[in-house]
Amino acid sequence: MSNRLRIFKDFLWILALAGLTAALIRMFFGLGATTNLSDAVPWGLWKVLNMVGGVALSTSGFTVGFLVYVLRLKKFRPFMKPAILIAFLGYGCSCAALLFDIGLPHRFWHPIFMWNINSFLFEVFWCVMLYFTVTAIELAPVIFERLRAEKISRILHRIAFAVVVIGISLSSLHHSSLGSLFLVTPLRLHPLWYTPWLPLLFIVSAMGAGMMVAVLAKILWGVGYEPLSVTGPASGSPAPLIRIDNGSSEPVRVRGPEGYEMPSIRGLATIAAGILGLYLILKIADLSLNGGWPYLLAGTWESWLFLVEVVLTAALPVVLLALPWTRRSPAGIGLAAATAAVGLALNRLNVGIFGYFRDAGTIYFPSLIEWAVGVGVVAAAGLVLFGVAENLPIFSELPPAAKSRAGLFRLSYGSLRQLWNTALTDSLHRVSLIAIFIIPLAFVLMYPPFYESPNSGFDVRPAIGVDAERAVLKIDGDHGGVTTVFKHADHQKRLGDSASCGKCHHASLPHDKSTPCSRCHRAMNDPTKIFNHDYHLAAVVEKNLITGLNPENYSCRECHAEQRPKTALNTKNCLECHKEDMFPAGRPSPEIDLRLAGAFREAMHGTCVECHKIEAVKLSRPQLGDCRACHESLRSRMTPEAVVAGLSKFDL
Amino acid sequence: MMYGILVDVTKCTACEKCVVACTASKGRSLKAAERDRAVTSDGLSADRLATILNVGEGRFARKSCMHCLEPACVSACLVGGLTKSPGGPVIYDRDKCIGCRYCMLACPFHIPRYEWDKTVPYVVKCDMCRERIEQNLKPACVEACPEKALTFGAREDLLLQARESIRNYPDKYRDHIWGEKEFGGTSVMYIADVDLGALGWPAAETEAIPALTEPLVHKTPFIGLGVAVGLVGLNWIIRRRDELAQLRQDQAGKDMPHE
Repeated sequence: MSNRLRIFKDFLWILALAGLTAALIRMFFGLGATTNLSDAVPWGLWKVLNMVGGVALSTSGFTVGFLVYVLRLKKFRPFMKPAILIAFLGYGCSCAALLFDIGLPHRFWHPIFMWNINSFLFEVFWCVMLYFTVTAIELAPVIFERLRAEKISRILHRIAFAVVVIGISLSSLHHSSLGSLFLVTPLRLHPLWYTPWLPLLFIVSAMGAGMMVAVLAKILWGVGYEPLSVTGPASGSPAPLIRIDNGSSEPVRVRGPEGYEMPSIRGLATIAAGILGLYLILKIADLSLNGGWPYLLAGTWESWLFLVEVVLTAALPVVLLALPWTRRSPAGIGLAAATAAVGLALNRLNVGIFGYFRDAGTIYFPSLIEWAVGVGVVAAAGLVLFGVAENLPIFSELPPAAKSRAGLFRLSYGSLRQLWNTALTDSLHRVSLIAIFIIPLAFVLMYPPFYESPNSGFDVRPAIGVDAERAVLKIDGDHGGVTTVFKHADHQKRLGDSASCGKCHHASLPHDKSTPCSRCHRAMNDPTKIFNHDYHLAAVVEKNLITGLNPENYSCRECHAEQRPKTALNTKNCLECHKEDMFPAGRPSPEIDLRLAGAFREAMHGTCVECHKIEAVKLSRPQLGDCRACHESLRSRMTPEAVVAGLSKFDL
Repeated sequence: MMYGILVDVTKCTACEKCVVACTASKGRSLKAAERDRAVTSDGLSADRLATILNVGEGRFARKSCMHCLEPACVSACLVGGLTKSPGGPVIYDRDKCIGCRYCMLACPFHIPRYEWDKTVPYVVKCDMCRERIEQNLKPACVEACPEKALTFGAREDLLLQARESIRNYPDKYRDHIWGEKEFGGTSVMYIADVDLGALGWPAAETEAIPALTEPLVHKTPFIGLGVAVGLVGLNWIIRRRDELAQLRQDQAGKDMPHE
């Protein structure tokens, strides 16, 4: 095993283990705490990218099956087993991700017994479940042949054609039905993507992109394990010049022989590009017939996403496969396949997530845990792919493991020591080492209590008296541990003794002359309601019952205008009833309305700063108007400019 | 008999007594409901099954489940966990639900809400106080309304009543009953003097959402069968051609003299 491959596998292990940790956290804490899903965006990354997208990228199983078994194109036989393995793992990891997405995973089996034949999701569930079984049956001969169970593999070979036909039939249903899932949202999905043609567009694009995934896998496997199959023997040395006598004197440059798999790879990629070209035509026809052009030309972010998606899925692969230069090189075909796959994933994201943003009135970005699980299951499927393909004849007749240590999987456990040396010690040590580092790290990064945003409002504590008479108060609004010393008695004396309470305390509660600020301003940063509606309603009802003026349900009219929306503007002023309670000292009444009162911070600043600024000028003591006059902790830290900037907010 | 609720938007004063009564009758936390009014965009949440929305021009309206006659959620639910009962309410069965949230995506009014903060979450939606109706009581919101903006009764009676109101006061109401035809009709209907697009009402002649999908989904078994038959037929033709080609090749090989 080459070093680069080993590092890549370690990377997959890191992702898979982080995903496992994230999945456990999701199971313990629930969807709300671990995902960014909401009532506005109920379907997120796991459902749209892992399920709808992942399944669409695993169509190779039935498309290659169609070419090989139904059309009997022997050229594509080498693709058959990789395609089935990709389909099996693709469906497997999509379903695994879905298990974490549904709210009640222990009920995943419900649709088997509880039917609703009107639901496309029900149809998708059944088809996916049956097709997953079909891929398992299609994959089984490889394993049974390895186990030398000849009788079973002979039976499986005999039914192979029937199984493939059932598989294609099931696939043609659920790949289009995945698009039909979104047909229920004609008013919610953006009109660029909502079209009655969704099922058709989904199945055609999935077929093309799924074949491209098989092509990409074959190329990557060739690069990693069998360079000869894609690059040919001339790899590394310049292509030899071969002189061909064609009558003229000019030598003709002929390239060296290319990889022995390249003709079939190119053939499959060309078919895929043809299907994607058809998809492009369908997409344009859909725009024209279903009135999508105005939305595309509107220049919104949706139209750009649509454009990028179509170029990546269809236009770019078709162009790349049409150019002779890229057609010849494995890298060119690989690039075409990769863009098709990425474009298809983007299309599914557009239809399933981005297209709903405008209607939801909000945007959604998956949380770290959603990414970790979504990527983790794919990484785990990748590890299984490596494990299976290295030991069983999937991509090539003689798997790499068989080359290096023949006979390991012949079930001859006599060589148990060999098994230990090669398979376990080597990889187990590395994986446990990775696990030791990754699992705690992932846990710390994603454990909800660690990253949950702190509550924006802190409760405000009443001021603490430093002496028995509460002449000097310590005020610690935000529980920061830093207090402001407020000389209450001094202020009271200076402002005019017992008649002066109302100058600072607004005494808003009935018969109250010195309400502590924290009674109403309960949070440091949040505005507070000063009006208790329930209390007033009960009081009015009681009064009306005693006087017999109004039946209960009409008490609202005591304060609110009849038959009008209840807003502060058409509601009785508090002073109409509470003049005596609220302004006992005969103080001139200010404008009173029912707006929210300020937060504690604003209340305190508004009360103190105004007066301090006036006094600072009057007594020509500028330090009185300074933040540092009260906030001792700022005395060393604050620059004069910052003080000025802070004070400018209170220019009244 | 199919029950329904008629909402007279001109009478609503946005006192939210219906919301409080609803929350209390469902045993949900009033504090959580109060919080959710502030943090959700439309005031609906798993703890707030009904809300009051500003529909513009100084008018307010209660919004909760419309109890469609052909509900999208009922059609969408893969386990049949939502049903339209013959009495009118669309009812959620929490014993069937698997938590796929397709009903939330399917509902054109954004009604079903999810208990996101629970480890074992369920969907929550208005059921028109089914238990209260069975005890011959009105739904909690209807009973709580001090302005009699909500009327509970048989759907046909409510339609007659709405038409009569519109006929008697042509300058007070628009000549339209929201919910009579939209999405194939709903059990909760509105009359108003303003447009109610803010509640999610579409154009009057919008067809029921199940009509978009159900005819198609019922065809799928036949499509699958057709594909299978077509594949077998195609394969038979190709196999026969291969055989004939092989035969011709063998014939040609036999005719050629061996070297």
